[in-house]
Amino acid sequence: MTRLPFEGIRILDFGWIFAVPHATAYLGALGADVIRVESTLAPDLVRFLTGTDGVPGFNRSGIYHAINFSRRGIALQLAHPKAQEIARRLVKLSDVVTENFTVGNMQKYGLGYEDLRAIRPDIIMLSGTPLGQDGPFARTVGFGPTTQAYAGLCHLTGYPNSFPCGIGGTWPDFAVGTAMVFFLLAALYHRDRTGQGKYLDLSMAEMVTTMIPEAMLEYFMNGRDPGPVGNRDDAMAPHGVYPVSGDDQWIAIAISTDEEFRMLCGILAVPSLADDPKFARLADRLRNVEALDAEVAARTRNFTREDLVAKLRERQIAAGPVYNTQDLMQDKAFLASGMLEKLGHGEVGERIVPTLPVRFSAIEPRYFGAPMIGEHTDEVLRELLGMSADEIAQLRDGKVLV
Amino acid sequence: MAHFEDYQEPPEALDGLKVIELPCLDTIPFMAAAMAAKSFADFGAEVIKVEPPRSGARERQLGPFRDAMPDLETGGLHLYLNTNKLGVTLNLEDSRARDLLMRLLADADIVFNPNTPARCERLEIGWRTIADRFPKLINVSVTYFGTDGAYRDYRGGDLVATHMSGVGFETPWHQVTDPPNEPPLKPAGRQADYLTGYTAAAAAMAAVFDRKHSGRGQHIDSSQWLAMVSMLRPNIGVYSHESPEAPIYERTRKRIKRGAQWVYPASDGWVSFNAGTDRFWRGWKKVMGSPEWMDSEMFASPVARAAHIDAIEAAVIDWLSGETRDSAFRKAQAEHVPCFPVHTAAEVAENAQYRARRFFVDQDHPVAKTVRMPGAPCRFSATPWRIKRGAPRLGEHNRKIFVERLALSERELESLRAERVI
Repeated sequence: MTRLPFEGIRILDFGWIFAVPHATAYLGALGADVIRVESTLAPDLVRFLTGTDGVPGFNRSGIYHAINFSRRGIALQLAHPKAQEIARRLVKLSDVVTENFTVGNMQKYGLGYEDLRAIRPDIIMLSGTPLGQDGPFARTVGFGPTTQAYAGLCHLTGYPNSFPCGIGGTWPDFAVGTAMVFFLLAALYHRDRTGQGKYLDLSMAEMVTTMIPEAMLEYFMNGRDPGPVGNRDDAMAPHGVYPVSGDDQWIAIAISTDEEFRMLCGILAVPSLADDPKFARLADRLRNVEALDAEVAARTRNFTREDLVAKLRERQIAAGPVYNTQDLMQDKAFLASGMLEKLGHGEVGERIVPTLPVRFSAIEPRYFGAPMIGEHTDEVLRELLGMSADEIAQLRDGKVLV
Repeated sequence: MAHFEDYQEPPEALDGLKVIELPCLDTIPFMAAAMAAKSFADFGAEVIKVEPPRSGARERQLGPFRDAMPDLETGGLHLYLNTNKLGVTLNLEDSRARDLLMRLLADADIVFNPNTPARCERLEIGWRTIADRFPKLINVSVTYFGTDGAYRDYRGGDLVATHMSGVGFETPWHQVTDPPNEPPLKPAGRQADYLTGYTAAAAAMAAVFDRKHSGRGQHIDSSQWLAMVSMLRPNIGVYSHESPEAPIYERTRKRIKRGAQWVYPASDGWVSFNAGTDRFWRGWKKVMGSPEWMDSEMFASPVARAAHIDAIEAAVIDWLSGETRDSAFRKAQAEHVPCFPVHTAAEVAENAQYRARRFFVDQDHPVAKTVRMPGAPCRFSATPWRIKRGAPRLGEHNRKIFVERLALSERELESLRAERVI
């Protein structure tokens, strides 16, 4: 097998929940030695997400497995000074440290950036927090969905003139995690050229606000504070989700030109709609968008989802089924995409895991199943710190390696 | 005096990398490649943005515009997405323009191409063609559905990818009570585009490291649909591993309210919070003034609380009706409960935390003048994110790139411009 791009790079990952573990999964799959630090005394909350096949225990969560592949796991009780000392010895052998504790926690353990830099001057450290490392509200506690609210995205997401809506999939955790990969690699690239490490302070709220430029600029340029617009768009119409036959079945359609609208009307068997002065041109459709959406929705109901999607795609119109997870997992193109892999796990056997969403022509990522909590403690301490079995046993008895 | 001589531009993380961004030639706005290239440009790479002559890149037409007056140079989205980029124009339908593109690619490290395989084949810029000509180039296809598979030439974009991934089906998050009148919903703006941009940018950086070892470039296939699917990996975990009888399994196929909805009304707006874990529940109890009902067996564990979420939410809403967003936020955070106000864009713009961190930055632009906008998505202690150059005017760097770098004569430049190749 050819060499992976990050072979030789070691990442000591104190991250938990979703964003940081998602970022380090990319790097582990691309060859980095990711060592995830956990403790049975304060396990990742994700290890408790659902009873998972009914058997108790924190090694069984399917959600945890779907995120934490391609890494080793060690157990360190960081409240213990000896555990902190071990962590510092591992830092010396690492290129990157990642974490997303509340501001100040890593310093408390003697693992703040200044501490790490004293141990390893070219270390790259990434801290992810809800609101950043400084400022009056730096020490707040939050999750992805709460930062989505703080950052302006939640208010903008919703039906017209209605309540603010949370976004599915605990947005923005995985989006931020994906961006973290880019930031870490930019820092690593610079280190390789200059020998200089750095500290990366990522505020999830700020990151989310960088992803709503349309609304922020509307405010800064015009003083207007925008509200939610549902599935609509200000440059396309129709642009929405419309009902098709069946219970809670929907289709998404995005029409970007008058010509496409004419084709849509033909397929929906109301060709006259395309000549209606209320709808003939894009500007008309945008002005009369409520009436337009009602006209479209009244016709889409006459089709099954698959039939209408096929007819629209045949005419090169942007349309797709609104999938739930079950639909997605039965989509032949998705199953053929290679994104799902069967990976082994020490306690539950094989599980199907979603891997990276990109394909490389010259890199074959290395996937292996998520670690059980502390699964590689002995291996890592022996291999990297040269500890003997006796030493390890003593530290375990002393509640250091738990 | 010495000050001036000693002054050096701060070093930049991606200094030395050369990136080409191709325009999406679809009529659907698709901003993924623009965001991918922006992330490189803002950390110091040289990005040459290729735009169609006359109309320019799609974002130039989208606004927001000052006083709703459309102008190719002053649209907010254009100014935001194209910071720090060099701008050239090329009509890729013309073979002379494509020849110039090939000369740009010969000198580039990375190209982001947001066009479907069918369109690329027609323009003779398909990835295999490019790979054969430029073996060291990192050629990133950033498309709706990827460059192979049954859907590769279908059109998509933000709306379609969001809803085909399952993210739309889960939005609004735990708030749906009347499914027929509350259709699956798209996150505001262009989340799927920007996420896809970051996915492609991260993959391109991985290929830069790979090239250091192998000496080869490669093709990267970044699908917007799969990037959005990647946001729902917990659901795939649940679908693959949970028993269909488990309550959580329902989320994979039904839009029903189950579990905490996260967003609740306070007296002056909304707040977002969750107190599902035991620790947060204990904190929340203190915040609420330790009412007796919270000690009931009905609420003794996360599982028990999930089963009685309606009762909890009714009590929370009652309590919040006497609190402002700010008082709820402060009281909850004092007990380490994750609770944040729901902010509007205007409130974000004026927010004390963002201000203290100087998050928003001003871009100075010769035509648009000064425009304020979101700044760094991540703070680097050295090599900071910064705007050293505002968004390019349409074709602003044609001379710099085509004459100074590719050695066209002024006369050739003029004639290509007259023939609308440039």
